[in-house]
Amino acid sequence: MNNIELPSETQPDITSTDETSLLVVILDSNPGQKMLRDNPHILTHCVDSVIAFANSHLMQKAQNKLAIMACHSKTSQFIFPGPGRPLDVRQIDGQYEAFTNVEKTTKQNLAKILSSETSSAITESLLAGAIAMALCYIARLNRIKPPGAKLNSRILVVTGSGCSASQYMNYMNVFFTAQKQNVVIDVCALDQHLSLLQQGCDITNGLYLKVPQLQGLLQYLLWVFLPEPPIREKLVLPPPVKVDYRAACFCHRELIDIGYVCSVCLSIFCKFSPICTTCHTVFKMPAPLAGKTKKKKKI
Amino acid sequence: MADNGVGAQSQKSSLIKHTNLECKNLYDYLKSRPPSVLEKLYNHPTICLAVYRELPELARQYVIRILFVEQPVPQAVVASWGSQAFSKEHTHVSKVLTELSVWQEAGIPGGLLGWILSPTFKKNLKVALLGGGKAWSMSSALEVDSKARDVSFLDAYSQERWECVLHYMVGSQQQEGISADAVRILLHAGLMKRDEEDGSPVITRQGFQFLLLDRQAQVWHFILQYLDTVEERGLDLVECLTFLFQLSFSTLGKDYSTEGMSPGLLIFLQHLREFGLVYQRKRKAGRFYPTRLALNITTSNDKVPDIEEDAPKGYIVVETNYRVYAYTDSNLQVALVGLFTELMYRFPNLVVGVITRDSVRQALRGGITADQIIGFLKQHAHPRMLDLQAKQPLPPTVVDQIKLWELERNRLVYSEGVLYSQFLSQADFNVLKEYAKSIGCLIWDNNDRRTLVINKSSHDDVKKFWKRYSKGN
Repeated sequence: MNNIELPSETQPDITSTDETSLLVVILDSNPGQKMLRDNPHILTHCVDSVIAFANSHLMQKAQNKLAIMACHSKTSQFIFPGPGRPLDVRQIDGQYEAFTNVEKTTKQNLAKILSSETSSAITESLLAGAIAMALCYIARLNRIKPPGAKLNSRILVVTGSGCSASQYMNYMNVFFTAQKQNVVIDVCALDQHLSLLQQGCDITNGLYLKVPQLQGLLQYLLWVFLPEPPIREKLVLPPPVKVDYRAACFCHRELIDIGYVCSVCLSIFCKFSPICTTCHTVFKMPAPLAGKTKKKKKI
Repeated sequence: MADNGVGAQSQKSSLIKHTNLECKNLYDYLKSRPPSVLEKLYNHPTICLAVYRELPELARQYVIRILFVEQPVPQAVVASWGSQAFSKEHTHVSKVLTELSVWQEAGIPGGLLGWILSPTFKKNLKVALLGGGKAWSMSSALEVDSKARDVSFLDAYSQERWECVLHYMVGSQQQEGISADAVRILLHAGLMKRDEEDGSPVITRQGFQFLLLDRQAQVWHFILQYLDTVEERGLDLVECLTFLFQLSFSTLGKDYSTEGMSPGLLIFLQHLREFGLVYQRKRKAGRFYPTRLALNITTSNDKVPDIEEDAPKGYIVVETNYRVYAYTDSNLQVALVGLFTELMYRFPNLVVGVITRDSVRQALRGGITADQIIGFLKQHAHPRMLDLQAKQPLPPTVVDQIKLWELERNRLVYSEGVLYSQFLSQADFNVLKEYAKSIGCLIWDNNDRRTLVINKSSHDDVKKFWKRYSKGN
């Protein structure tokens, strides 16, 4: 419609994406992580790095938004903005008040969660649940924002836990929801390679990075994860590597290359079973009619 | 052939220049300050923070990447951070960073050139981000205010104060509570001028354009003009700017202490109070509340809709039949809409007008540009307008038509030129004309009268060519 030739402004051709950007950081604070069991002090270092990174995100633009979550083995909670009334923070040094607020609130709430941790049993962190909560939070902000406003949202998962296939279904559900909601999921692996979360990054166009040295965590975060998705194409960032797209079977939660798929509900099994555990379809024994009732499929 | 009669006369056409309102952003403002002032400004974490936020996106990434690096980073390395397709943007960004002396060139052993962040800037940006250093001047501890003010009160207060200034400009009836100081700033800024007959201030062309800006831009422009006069008043510019930015990074609905502020700053505070940037119950209250006007004062050049729920809502609906419905009872807003529409009906909470060729042309004659009208309509668009079409809040037909009406007025193109005349022969004339044509600087020519007009910038070229040519003959 606007094809009338108008005196064009002599602005340099710089594309700018000045939209509100929301970052939800999910920090895995489960004391059961292997690296924390070896050296509990690493957590302090990680928390400090994450807070500095979160503040750098707020520093980018005045309208940027931030949320930080702590993810545990039994629960996931928002630690910034925390539950209840915001703290009344007065400046103590030259730090910008909003940044002091983030730091104080985060540390206080995290301490509360950690001190209420009682069981010593080592269980895995509920990352999929935390991502789901983050997605809900993003959806809520999207709903209450005034018309015309644009909100770019992304989730950053910082974790040192290992990958477990037991949450496979939950992971896949949140990844595809995120993809549908245009939420980018970034993953920063501190300790071990995480193949499932890497799939999530690939699905949602996020970045995956396994930090080579924990000492330089803040620098890695700032370099790789601070640029928001629209600027990322202007920067040279770690190239995507080949993603391991193996699925986990529903019976033993193990990653498999070749398995059996239920022809009705598409559940995946590593061994043949006559009744599908998900939809209870009854299959005939494979011997006489091998090709018809079950399908051998490479995934 | 020394005197061949080719006389070059400068064509002194009185180029009609529109004096448009020049709205500087923080970058333009700082760029025009000398480096020594910049260095002094960078001593304050607040200003570093404000400058950082004002940088282009890519520049912000560059700065944060080298914030924790102590030695210079080779320029080639910095260039390799951006992808090839955006190398132009990289050059632009490097220029901006150099202009603001955020980074400096530095030699690296090995003969390469590198970039290093200005030490003051680096130190203070780190303080703002991570803490350390001295507290900002206004954050002394306070007892709890017994009569604390909430956000909605502050919003109403600041809006009332600011609209007082605007009302005064449009000359509507509610003329109260604007001080001689404020009038002086309006006059200084050229937003108003003294009437030739009775000396009372009247609004100027720039003043109209000012009215159509969004609130943030208005405040920022006004404050810039105010800062220009700050030194005449005997206040310290650096001190005032620092305080202004501290204010802009404060939290809405919180009280701050005036303890330890210099007498100059207290005067400055009183001025800000008059324009509604801060609220103070009493002059000697010892505490003040910043209002929304003072927050994020520099983010004026791009209108980003705030996602806070309590931000002011738009009120204008534009239909494809050029009708404008403004849901407002404020005389000021009605007056603003009336600048470029023909008002038809007036109801207690609604004004209906229609955009016509005449009404728009009248506005254009008043010095308002089409972009400003469109910008105003867009910025105050009713939430329902934004709901309907996500991309375009205004009907495209109306937008295009307003632009066309503006183009109607710009049928003449002015270009500066040099007149060549009195050629002795047609051949000479032809040679010069062909040459001018070949380098693409011929504006106009007339064969019969042997005259031609050449672009002023290539006058030297043509002159040289003519000398060479006439010598050759």
